[in-house]
Amino acid sequence: MERTTTRRALLAGTATLAAAGAAAAIVGVVEQSGGGGSKKDESAKGAVATTKAVKNLDAPIDDPKRRAAHLLRRAGFGGTQAEIDAFAKLSREDAADRLVNYETIDNSALDARLLKGGFDFTYSQNQLVRAIFNMQRWWLTRMAYTARPLEERMTLIWHGLLTSQVSKVGVPFSKLMLAQNELFRTNALGKYDSLVKAVSRDPAMLYYLDNIESTKAHPNENYARELMELFTLGEGHYTEQDIRESARSFTGWRVTPPTRTGDNERDIATWNPVFFVQPAQHDTGAKTFMGKTGNFNGDDIVDIIMEQPQAGRFLCTRLFTEFANYNPDKKTIDKLVAVWESSGHRVKDIVRAILVSDEFYSERSYRGFVRSPVELLVGAVRALQIETDFTPIATQEFRTMDQTLFEPPNVAGWPGGSVWLSSSTFYARANFLDTFLFRRNRPIELPALAGAPTPQTMADVALKVLVDDNVAADARKSITEYAGTVTNPTERAAAVAYLVLASPEYQLI
Amino acid sequence: MLSRRDFVKGGVALVSIGTTANSLLKGTLAFAAQNPQDLATPNNGKILVLVQLAGGNDGLNTVIPRGDSTYRSVRKAIGVAEADILPLDQTYGLHPKLAGLKGLWDSGKLAVVRGVGYPNQNYSHFKSMAIWQAGDPDLKLQDGWLGRTLEKMESQSHDPFFGFNIGASTPPEMRIDSISIPSVQNQEDYGFKVGGQTVTPSDPRVGTLMKLYEQYPSQSPYGVLLETTVESATSSAKQLAAAAVTYKPAVAYPKSSFAAGLSVLSEAIVGNLGMRVGHITLGGFDTHSKEVADHTNLMETLDQGLTAFYKDLAAHGRADDVLVLTWSEFGRRVQENANGGTDHGSASIMFALGNTVQKGFYGDQPSLSKLIDNGNLSFTTDFRSVYATVIERWLGVASEPLLGKRWDQLGFIPAA
Repeated sequence: MERTTTRRALLAGTATLAAAGAAAAIVGVVEQSGGGGSKKDESAKGAVATTKAVKNLDAPIDDPKRRAAHLLRRAGFGGTQAEIDAFAKLSREDAADRLVNYETIDNSALDARLLKGGFDFTYSQNQLVRAIFNMQRWWLTRMAYTARPLEERMTLIWHGLLTSQVSKVGVPFSKLMLAQNELFRTNALGKYDSLVKAVSRDPAMLYYLDNIESTKAHPNENYARELMELFTLGEGHYTEQDIRESARSFTGWRVTPPTRTGDNERDIATWNPVFFVQPAQHDTGAKTFMGKTGNFNGDDIVDIIMEQPQAGRFLCTRLFTEFANYNPDKKTIDKLVAVWESSGHRVKDIVRAILVSDEFYSERSYRGFVRSPVELLVGAVRALQIETDFTPIATQEFRTMDQTLFEPPNVAGWPGGSVWLSSSTFYARANFLDTFLFRRNRPIELPALAGAPTPQTMADVALKVLVDDNVAADARKSITEYAGTVTNPTERAAAVAYLVLASPEYQLI
Repeated sequence: MLSRRDFVKGGVALVSIGTTANSLLKGTLAFAAQNPQDLATPNNGKILVLVQLAGGNDGLNTVIPRGDSTYRSVRKAIGVAEADILPLDQTYGLHPKLAGLKGLWDSGKLAVVRGVGYPNQNYSHFKSMAIWQAGDPDLKLQDGWLGRTLEKMESQSHDPFFGFNIGASTPPEMRIDSISIPSVQNQEDYGFKVGGQTVTPSDPRVGTLMKLYEQYPSQSPYGVLLETTVESATSSAKQLAAAAVTYKPAVAYPKSSFAAGLSVLSEAIVGNLGMRVGHITLGGFDTHSKEVADHTNLMETLDQGLTAFYKDLAAHGRADDVLVLTWSEFGRRVQENANGGTDHGSASIMFALGNTVQKGFYGDQPSLSKLIDNGNLSFTTDFRSVYATVIERWLGVASEPLLGKRWDQLGFIPAA
């Protein structure tokens, strides 16, 4: 029986990567992550992000093109070379404004593309897999081809924070998840109070966290708890009594049911659920919540929550850790909380404040996150100008990367951070790129690389647009050498794209 | 004995910042040279397989206090009918779908720990999971409880499968910087593919990719994580593929992905890959509504999976080496809700399963009438007593340094 140990393998061979334990010790100098607002697994995330000794992490990112590429990755899903070049010429303020003031940007090309895609969202039972497949393709198409990247980025952030899972909502009710997705898009940068109130009456959410069944006699606490724990305040900033009393305030919140004609599929297809409060099931008694007493309804509860200083800290910390890095100090959050207050809790102002901040443009933020599977795929499509209908996501490799849109793992959304990377997802990433770039063994067209005349220039173009030309000299040489062994230009482009997209640098964002 | 972590901590001075994986390697080689016996130690130790029931398993509908009349009055809609319960004794019985576990109880291989929880129960899934995973209600202890335990054990072994997870990412209880845990979601996909065909890392394109990871400096962002992940992926895939060639399941595993994962754990055990701790999750226990249907399915999946796993190990002569332990972040509210479900609760039950297990009940059953926190069970058994038992009596290392204090051990594993 072969009994290879890691260490023995390393003694015997050339496995220079095997210094696992030794290398890990270096991480003794890790930064501890801060921020009470994020529900994510901070210890997992912050753990190996950066080492202090490397360089001054508070230093600004020096190169304008690196700054522009960083901004486009974080506020959207990455840019083409032309977009990166254009943003590199802008001031921080102008760049942020161009991203946050997207309402006036023409997005008709995307609308036309979606229409042409002919996405069918009507499903009968037992078609959960097909429903998720098409819903994901629809949203990925939006992310990849939108002219308003921040709109889709915010929609994804809200989906990960104000989470619902299509598996619980169920098929054929899956269309409610699309309505929720549109709700996130419509309210993407508005006042957080309004978004939370809208989500509280959103049909998918009412089903997902069981509030649809909450009655006066037996309030269901599921929504009330997650509203405070995950959506607005964070664990430890409310009492069990606050949960019970707020659950009473949300009783009787309902949506109109489908018309029943006997044709279930048609009934669901034509169903347009409308929110209402069922008087007989709504508890109109006095509730005592966070020190206040009154006949509160759900909106009153949200108002009281939003008055808590912790609500601002929570959301500002969450948004900062979505856009910038995992280690905001108190001063940074205080600054953002001031914007929360002065803007009347408007998300657009907070996001803009983050996107122009020194912290956002620091070396600590640069490559401070592990790239999610969606960012991996959409980033490649955007940067390399790939034409795809996203059918390759039907592969086992895509699923094993472990991010299914509309189906986060639980009510806390995706934990993110270093959790994205494991031996399992590492293979899935490399192998998904193989099936995506070499579909049925034929290399796909990569317009951004097509014109490059030599292996060297092709590697240069790919490294520039995908990883900011910021790799070890050896890496460029390795890629160029391999590219030189591939004679067919289309195949060579796909091989170069594979190597850069599977590289360590591209796994970070 | 010097552990690898002690060594590398002491040796960090040798490894100046700015070095690459190559020079880190020297530290590892030096460790190996000083501790040659570590490399030769065969790993024939006991194996723990931890099964997480995620979402908060309803302990009262898993091991049912059938002798307590209060059970009937609080569980009018979702209570398990007396006639369907699989009796363990006069007052307790198993959920009807746990027939396999009932058989293992009858043959003396199953223990039930009752009333497991901790002081000041936290009713958040995520906080309570974090508490169980850290092994510390104050969340002051670093890393996961099994990560700390593996590190303490690791001077005996350095196999890549020392800790092994079924799933997409390292579970928090196994997390520790010094040990990389391979995670396998689908065994067919565990390895490089080119053109859809499995290849070895010597394939030219894959070989070039591996070079990029070797060239990526350890001190660059996420350098250590990327390096250890890829190292763990390549070394474990090779061994798992070798094990797959010889492993033949002795039973037909059920179709669930839970059972499929258990069969991969069995393969690692039967294939002697050096695994000491395995981890697998069965999710979906957050039964706020429609509990009867959902919980019944979950009980069936759990039972069929564990039963097949046990039989497979037994047929391969390895059942003596394996302890299966189940846990969940909390139980459910005693009183059912109006939606045919139960809200978040407190104390719950744990199963311990294996040939060495001393059949029986451990820990007192909490009262169904003297409740705390507006309708929840008052725990009787601290989960750290269970951990201490497993750490000391099964995995063979001292529990006190790992759990921060001494905990009474339970008898479901005999004292050495």
